[in-house]
Amino acid sequence: MTFLRRFDMYIPENFNDLLGYLEDHQSGVQLIANGTDLINRMQRKQVDARVLVDLSGLSELKYVRRENGTIRIGALTTIQDLVSSPTLTERYAAFGDVGSKFGGPAIVNVATVGGNICAASSSEDLIPVLLALNAKVTLRSIRGERVVDLDHFLKGKRQTALFPNEILVETIFDELDGRSACAFEKIGMRNSLIIAFLNCSVCLKLSKRDKRVEDIRIAMNRISGKIPCRPRKTEAELKGRPLTKEQIEKSITILGSELQLSSDFRASREYRQAVGPVVFKRTLIKCADRLGEKLV
Amino acid sequence: MSKHLLKFTVNGKDQALVVESHERLLDVLRDRLGLKGTKEGCSTGDCGICAVIMDGKLVNSCLVFAIQARNKKITTIEAIGTAENPHPLQRAFIKYNAIQCGFCIPAMILASKNLLDHNPSPTDEEIKEAIRGTLCRCTGYQSIIKAVKAAAIEMKK
Repeated sequence: MTFLRRFDMYIPENFNDLLGYLEDHQSGVQLIANGTDLINRMQRKQVDARVLVDLSGLSELKYVRRENGTIRIGALTTIQDLVSSPTLTERYAAFGDVGSKFGGPAIVNVATVGGNICAASSSEDLIPVLLALNAKVTLRSIRGERVVDLDHFLKGKRQTALFPNEILVETIFDELDGRSACAFEKIGMRNSLIIAFLNCSVCLKLSKRDKRVEDIRIAMNRISGKIPCRPRKTEAELKGRPLTKEQIEKSITILGSELQLSSDFRASREYRQAVGPVVFKRTLIKCADRLGEKLV
Repeated sequence: MSKHLLKFTVNGKDQALVVESHERLLDVLRDRLGLKGTKEGCSTGDCGICAVIMDGKLVNSCLVFAIQARNKKITTIEAIGTAENPHPLQRAFIKYNAIQCGFCIPAMILASKNLLDHNPSPTDEEIKEAIRGTLCRCTGYQSIIKAVKAAAIEMKK
């Protein structure tokens, strides 16, 4: 059974037609890519749109490419596209980690990168990965284009910096070099097909000579508020120091103090408090492993 | 409310029908085209029972608005084998007793077929991966995995 309120669907003929339509219709309009999240929210009456604008036909927004030292991912790229993209080599293994812990194949085949970002909640697995990669998003309207840091784009639960006449067209991040690796981990009721109690992504760069942490970016959901963000004190604690067991334990204590977790129907605050540092540690170890460093 | 002319191909046959914006692919397949083999489970994309193959990819038909399937090729369970001449997967499911209540089976067959179309010799892990989005509350999955493996061998003969 479906419990959908009636609405109109606008199918833009091309990208410019879409931008023109958004400029002229700035209220009651909701963009839909492939609908895996939106249709559920519509059924729960959490989204009330008079008009849905169907983006699913805009194949020009489906790409992963390398350009001038950056990786660019089109908004309509699916999770499966990320997993099977030859551009996203082992260095970007965090995307593969997401793919294997996301929904089943029928979801992975259609859920889009743009949809995952714009859904803007703590359940979105891609957001921590993109935050750890220091990603930016490109927003376009008929008036022009602007590039915004992903952490500024995410304003709060289900809130983004997107204006009603804009669409998120791509996400960009700098290419990783050979001394960098990234990873993603999540803890839920099951190994996949589940919204995480907690998830974590780490992007780690080690110096060539010693095991010193040259750069580290960590992103977790439920650190504070309802959207994923970065525990900056934990990052600062690790930066410039050698990646030893003692150092990791020290950073975990700091992470514990940065986590501002809350209880909900998925897990209690206490449980999250206990597993948060463990999830982080696992992700960090996975990163180090990928750089050929054995920590355990 | 807006109506759209939906043109698409279902099980090899071109279809053209007028649909409303809110109609889902699942509704159109079942109620307009009479293809009742596609089942409705949770309606939220969790159980995977309404899966069909759209342009070579498994999708949940409850999470696709019908008009979004324009110009696409859809395969439902009705196109896989017949009662007289079942598909090797269907024969294997029967042989290995991989069916109990049967509600998930159309989706399970489609998920398995989609796997074998892309990967004719899957490992147990690959089979588990392919069917991980299709929930079955009867079989415990082991018999299904055996059946898919047997069908893969049969299909290579």
